Amino acid sequence: MLSRVADTIYWLARYLERSQAMLQVLRINYIASQDEQAFEGWRPLLYTYGDLTEEEITATVGDTAQVLGHLIFDRDNAVSVYNNIVQGRENARAVQDHITKEVWLSLNDYYHAIRQEDVARLVQVEDPVSGIDFLFKQGLLFAGTVQHTMPRDEGYVFLSMGKYLERALQTADIMRLKQEAFAPNTEPHHSAAGLRYLLYALFGYELYTKTYKGVITPENVLEMLVYDEDFPHSLAYSLGQLQRYCERLRDQSLPESYDHLHFLIGKAKNNVAYSSFQARNGPALAQFLQQTRSELFEVAGALNTHYFGNS
Amino acid sequence: MSENALLNSYPELANVWDEMFRAEGTRPEYRHFVAAIENLQGSEMTRKAELAKKLFLSQGVTFTVYSSGEGIEKIFPFDIIPRIINHAEWVRIEAGIKQRLRALNIFLKDIYHQQFILKDGIMPAALVYSCPQFLREMVNVDVPHDIYTHIAGVDLIRDHDGELYVLEDNLRTPSGVSYMLENRSITYRIFPDLLPKSNVLPVKDYPDLLFRNLLALGARQASEATVVLLSPGIYNSAYFEHSALARLMGIRLVESRDLIVHNHFVYMKTTKGLARVDVIYRRVDDEYIDPLVFRPDSALGVSGLYWAYRKGNVAIVNAMGNGVADDKAVYCYVPDMIRYYLNEEPILKNVPTHRLDDPEKREHVFANMERMVIKKTNESGGYGMLIGNAATEEQMADFRTAISQDPRSFIAQPIINLSSAPCYIDGVLQPRRIDLRPFALYGPSGIDIVPGGLTRVALREGSLVVNSSQGGGSKDTWVLGPSS
Repeated sequence: MLSRVADTIYWLARYLERSQAMLQVLRINYIASQDEQAFEGWRPLLYTYGDLTEEEITATVGDTAQVLGHLIFDRDNAVSVYNNIVQGRENARAVQDHITKEVWLSLNDYYHAIRQEDVARLVQVEDPVSGIDFLFKQGLLFAGTVQHTMPRDEGYVFLSMGKYLERALQTADIMRLKQEAFAPNTEPHHSAAGLRYLLYALFGYELYTKTYKGVITPENVLEMLVYDEDFPHSLAYSLGQLQRYCERLRDQSLPESYDHLHFLIGKAKNNVAYSSFQARNGPALAQFLQQTRSELFEVAGALNTHYFGNS
Repeated sequence: MSENALLNSYPELANVWDEMFRAEGTRPEYRHFVAAIENLQGSEMTRKAELAKKLFLSQGVTFTVYSSGEGIEKIFPFDIIPRIINHAEWVRIEAGIKQRLRALNIFLKDIYHQQFILKDGIMPAALVYSCPQFLREMVNVDVPHDIYTHIAGVDLIRDHDGELYVLEDNLRTPSGVSYMLENRSITYRIFPDLLPKSNVLPVKDYPDLLFRNLLALGARQASEATVVLLSPGIYNSAYFEHSALARLMGIRLVESRDLIVHNHFVYMKTTKGLARVDVIYRRVDDEYIDPLVFRPDSALGVSGLYWAYRKGNVAIVNAMGNGVADDKAVYCYVPDMIRYYLNEEPILKNVPTHRLDDPEKREHVFANMERMVIKKTNESGGYGMLIGNAATEEQMADFRTAISQDPRSFIAQPIINLSSAPCYIDGVLQPRRIDLRPFALYGPSGIDIVPGGLTRVALREGSLVVNSSQGGGSKDTWVLGPSS
């Protein structure tokens, strides 16, 4: 497979996975902003997902409609959901002969959906939750179409690697965004609320209540988000999938490329699996998340150098 | 004559050759087709036209127009009434194009080597050396099998008296062949059984013939040469054609960033490392193909490609430097080339052309501008062109100034009254002007022309410009087999 094609497919998956993560975080943050007295505000999200200057953030942060508009629909914000979808579609167009027609059509539909005026209206003026849900479903449709129609060839491997690498990064980022909820000096009630929204943002709340019978403690939340191999948004799960797809590249790689990539993924996976620190130890958690992030970037760098020819 | 209202209400244009009708009724080559549609109701034709449009969209046969950074896909308008050419005429067209291509190919070999044609005074040297597409870099470069013009799309037009003329030779990167193939595949879906019953020759061999020629150019002693199609990328309006051809031939579609040159060999970057490339069918123009030799700001080319080519380590299709042979001023000398190189009389005529660097001719053209078409010698696509009878005084004055400043870059031709063909527009048959672009493939085993081509239609009423960028559409082109 051409390096450019592999690169394009991999980024296609990353853009779509990132959009899904952003939409869910925005959705949950919006609900918290309506229903939670200790709502921490939009500032952290604007730092993470926006491209505004300090003054612009101060001007925007009080107005929910403006915040959502900037993060989801703003065409001038290079990292808005809108631009992720535009990029994803452009990537799909460039590799049309390597993805199925159905996958291309689902992306094309997503693109046309996010351009509709009434969707932006729904999110900004009417009911943000319905609006975000509508967009989110387009992403689910894409994921399902990939599952249902793509041949399990090299292209699929790069699509999956992009997806799980991005997912692991998003999990680490979202945990970092909410890491105050783990801190020991946070008042218990606020801490539990923060952790609950963190679980919601990572689609883990239902599984958590079933597993831990409703008592929300930092230790249990950390256990699930980092180590639980059955939870599809945990670091352990994403890294496991990443390793699995990496191993399918073995026969289609130069031996030294494969060895390096496999080593880096294995290292990241084991560093997560064998990490041990106290959930309430703020600096240790921050350091762990930081290290995981940089190891994931090393994996991305290895893909870039060995497989995508961008040295 | 038939009783069909659709056919009877056809308004013929005065002093224009119509491909389907003549004074005494339908031309013989159209009889079969007319008999088949005679009994169709108007609504059925409309349904067929709509079906054709839907098929184009659902097959993704589109070209992309970029505005405000986002691509919008448009379909190339298709008219469902085919243009039909009888066998005898096709035999003549085929022979005429082969003759021209042989002469043009020898001309390119000659002009980049010994230049006998200049030394013998057949062509003025100044004309060649002032042509911006004459690449000094190609002088004394030996190209594989001495073939320069691997793929040519020769534009033919027909005047009011029925005579065919060659308008342009298009020897660089002619496009449109994918529409020839797609138009045919739409026709057999909307007119079931009509093609076999009408004895229409197939065009489907084009990709196989092209691929065979490309493989034959891979000089390397390998079991099979690696052939790629180099495209400028998704922003190019012909990207659909690039991906369609790559798919039909089963070769890789690459962009400039996929290729690198190392030690004068060309490689493509794959997930498995570098893989050697032997033949490049490029759809990137000469001036962009190697930033180290040509335009340094080009992002569409590959650094070092020119030297790999010179060393014979990679074959490039079409050869570089072909622009000197399809320059519109050099065009005047193609009949002379045919006589000089082949010792034959030209089968197909040239449109009478005035070079404007001759002061006498220039005065003549300025005095008769409203009866002339003025063209820039190095532009195509219907740009840089003035049609005398449709131009304003101001436009003519602008052209006069431009011509006086740089006469070498312009030519003038009498306005040819392009032939018309019936098109199904708004529920009735209306005459629209057409041309014909057959595609010729020149390989080590000879010249092949698939029977057919792209018939382009000027869809705007009264327009003489058939280019797709200027509101043109296309028709399926049927060449009938020998009558048994």
